[in-house]
Amino acid sequence: MAEKPRLKLPKEAKKGEIIEIKTLMPHVMESGQRKDKDGKTIPRRIINKFTAEFNGKPVFSATIEPAVAANPYLQFTAKVEESGTFKFSWTDDDGSIITAEEKITVA
Amino acid sequence: MMRKRILVGSVAAAMLIAAGAFIVPPGSDANAQAGKRLPQLDTGDASAQPWKRYAGWPVRDASKFNTLANLASPPPPTAARKLTGPITGDSTKGAVLVADRNRGGSCLACHTMGPAGGTALPGNVGPDLSEIGNAGREDKWLFNYVFDARVYNPETVMPPWGGHGIFNEAEINDIVAFLKTLKSPAPYKTELDNPDKRPAPVEKRDNLDPIENPGMWAVDKAQELWKQKSAIGFSCNTCHSDPKESFKTWAASMPKWEPRLNKVLGVEEFVTRHTKATTGDTWLMETDENRVMSVYLHYLANGTPIKIDTTSAESKAAIERGKALSARKVGELNFACTDCHGKSANKWIRGQWLGEPKGQADHFPTWRTSLQAIWDIRQRFQWCQVNIRADELAPDAKEYGDLELYLVSQNEGQKLSVPGIRH
Repeated sequence: MAEKPRLKLPKEAKKGEIIEIKTLMPHVMESGQRKDKDGKTIPRRIINKFTAEFNGKPVFSATIEPAVAANPYLQFTAKVEESGTFKFSWTDDDGSIITAEEKITVA
Repeated sequence: MMRKRILVGSVAAAMLIAAGAFIVPPGSDANAQAGKRLPQLDTGDASAQPWKRYAGWPVRDASKFNTLANLASPPPPTAARKLTGPITGDSTKGAVLVADRNRGGSCLACHTMGPAGGTALPGNVGPDLSEIGNAGREDKWLFNYVFDARVYNPETVMPPWGGHGIFNEAEINDIVAFLKTLKSPAPYKTELDNPDKRPAPVEKRDNLDPIENPGMWAVDKAQELWKQKSAIGFSCNTCHSDPKESFKTWAASMPKWEPRLNKVLGVEEFVTRHTKATTGDTWLMETDENRVMSVYLHYLANGTPIKIDTTSAESKAAIERGKALSARKVGELNFACTDCHGKSANKWIRGQWLGEPKGQADHFPTWRTSLQAIWDIRQRFQWCQVNIRADELAPDAKEYGDLELYLVSQNEGQKLSVPGIRH
């Protein structure tokens, strides 16, 4: 079962309001520094990039490094002027990209 | 035994005849609520057998000591040991031994021992020994108190360090020599180091918020699993299409005495046995499927006050057995449940808070942030035992059933809030 990202942001906001967005991606975030019990290095596998856009325009992005713990949690704010859709993406070291969307209505 | 085999056989035959069109008894959810005879595998084990300890858990031979199923510990001494002369141990070696967590588990876990003992997070289960050197105790008394304190106090929670062979006589001589050097109070660097002033831990996180509590992800997984068809084409959903409604209170009524198995059944064992008898899936206790399903079934009953059967003759007898088990001394360290969670409840063992039984049943299965894993109540029982150097039982052991019933009976009225979140 693929893990799905967790999102928390308001469904509605006032025009010009600064809203808080919380995102959490379930992921092992294997640093590439650890060794297994036979002494072999466990290969690195992390989420290396996160992006958030609103109605196609970038809002926030982050390059994530191996020191970030499992299940990376990012919290940021955005100013919303119009109704629309937030799109979030997480890029895995294995090349896969996990995406999620959330709509917001601006009154 | 025969009857059960016939039952299973006839179900299989019925399925062959119906060629997959299994006829669901009408109102099966209502039957579940009314506690009528449910399909349930009444034979065999509900967990992997022989039970193998979880990977990464400490391995230590505890076969010479009591478990919750077996009595094996050596008897307590009948008289104090006589010393041949004054104690001539090496206090420097003693200072190392009292802090050695691999040997005794560290005296500091329970006692403050002055500046020499180190003052980082000592516990307060036992008395502060910082000035024991001024107390005017005889060598013989000090030696025997460490060797096996039961000669002076049969009710003591002090492990029998000599009686159970954890330290030898020479080492206890060294420890006593060290104790005699303790003559001044512990200078705590911060208030947190002082176990009498350290504030009790408070859990403030919102355990039902999936951002705060990864244990909540089990609820999503269970909902997928609920509808996932087994090899013979059935799922939980085949009979229980509205779990939110039909399991609104069920988990708060568990565990319960099960006459067909002659033991107390918790949610987890019930899931194993009921699933096997209905969908045919094998969701043994302490597997991922079983854990997420247990989380979900408890979650559906969140907010419901715990109310179990404590009045039937069988339940009463099981609670009495559970109570007796909770007072049984087990393991190399010779602790009973009640030693830590009764006599020493609301005290510190090193940096760990010893909770009361009340408040320990409403949040299981719970997410362990320190382990990034969900633990059900049986795994928690197992860890308690391994931690005090006793052999754990298989999760479906009848002794755990009795103990769980006794524990939950002390939590009646507490509202379920599952999955919990704990360190």
